[in-house]
Amino acid sequence: MIIDESKCVGAGQCVWVAPQVFDQRESDGIVVLLQAEPPADLHDFVREALAVCPAAAIRIEK
Amino acid sequence: MSALPSYPFNRTCPFDPPEALREARSQQPVLAVRLWNGERAWVLTRQQEIRQVLADDERFSGRFGQPGFPTVTAARVAVDQNERAFVGMDNPDHDRFRRMFTQEFSVRRMLALQPRITEIAETLVDEMIAAGPPQDLIGMLAVKFPSLVMSLLFGSPYEDHEFIITCAAARHGLTQSVDEAERRARELAAYVGRLIDARIAEPRDDMLSRIIAEHVRPGHLSRDEFAEIGAMILRAGHDTTTNMIGVGTLLLMRDDALRQRLIARPADIRGTVEEFLRYVSPVQFSPRRVARVDVELAGVTIRAGEGLFISLPSANRDECVFERADQIDIDRDNSRHLTFGFGIHQCLGQILARVELQAVFTVLLAKLPALGLAVPQDDIRFKDDMQIYGVHNLPVRWPVAA
Repeated sequence: MIIDESKCVGAGQCVWVAPQVFDQRESDGIVVLLQAEPPADLHDFVREALAVCPAAAIRIEK
Repeated sequence: MSALPSYPFNRTCPFDPPEALREARSQQPVLAVRLWNGERAWVLTRQQEIRQVLADDERFSGRFGQPGFPTVTAARVAVDQNERAFVGMDNPDHDRFRRMFTQEFSVRRMLALQPRITEIAETLVDEMIAAGPPQDLIGMLAVKFPSLVMSLLFGSPYEDHEFIITCAAARHGLTQSVDEAERRARELAAYVGRLIDARIAEPRDDMLSRIIAEHVRPGHLSRDEFAEIGAMILRAGHDTTTNMIGVGTLLLMRDDALRQRLIARPADIRGTVEEFLRYVSPVQFSPRRVARVDVELAGVTIRAGEGLFISLPSANRDECVFERADQIDIDRDNSRHLTFGFGIHQCLGQILARVELQAVFTVLLAKLPALGLAVPQDDIRFKDDMQIYGVHNLPVRWPVAA
């Protein structure tokens, strides 16, 4: 999983749906990836985080 | 060519967006309309085109007040032209300013405020109970609650909240006076400016003082820019939440099974709030855009310079995305609702709104499990005359121990 900080608008939706995987920087609220390869039991939450991101700032690369 | 339909459209059912939007979704998802001032605009009604446009800053501009930027009232024209905060800016300016404020509305910050937000809800509901039934829940709770939460964020004195409520409301009426909208916008920015000056003189551990230390003192943000952004945030934190509380409470009172389920399983409030957000969708006539270049959307050519309304209530009932979209189902996957918009302008305060709504409904159900309407539903006045939809009044009653 890759995040694009320049696109992130700090809406916080990824942290709201998957706090085990995403956080927000204390300085500017921009997304921080807590784990780039989350375990399978978190994949549903990660997929939801991707779906709700308003700025397409989260990508999955195989 | 036949005459274009006038926009806004009227509702037939108070809980559903106008029927004309449903027809548009199936027949003309990008619909040409005529506005109050005779201008033409487009209305986007389906998620597919709405997501595409809101994600495309290259071809669509969201700059308030530019030629072609569509409006529903004369007051809105004035409000748009006077807007100085990032809500009305394109990038790169938008991101530069917004990023100075995002951390103040982060998930962590908002969850840290949860206990105090719950306390505010408890105090207001206790006051309503002490006053005895019947009471108007709008006046006693729905208007005051978000205002007191915003006062908490801004560190503004309690006695100012009525002034702030008046300023925040003076722009949404479909018959709003232009003069009053402009005057109240100026007054609120001046008020926030005075709050900022007080923190410059005497910093506290609060939002205004942090922004001053991080952005005003180093010179990234002027005092006046901060006052305009502060006023925008303060306003935005009022009406939308108030109307979600009003209609949401009405929905809870109409559905015994849902109420019983939430009393038994309080954790289900999270899915309930999300579904209420989708179903109620209070913002009616934003976001808006102007095409920068000719663009084809759903087989229709939008010319450069033409204005577009995005209908979020319509997007939230899009049958291509939500099965039985007109029914409330707190168990559905509603992660694709667009109540907070989409793209770079998506609501900055959405996590706060969720925390507030979860808190207020949880407190209401715990303290007043048998809350009911005190009047026939026909006596409820819905806000067909406002840009933010909701109810003007909500008389409620509850059993009182003898």
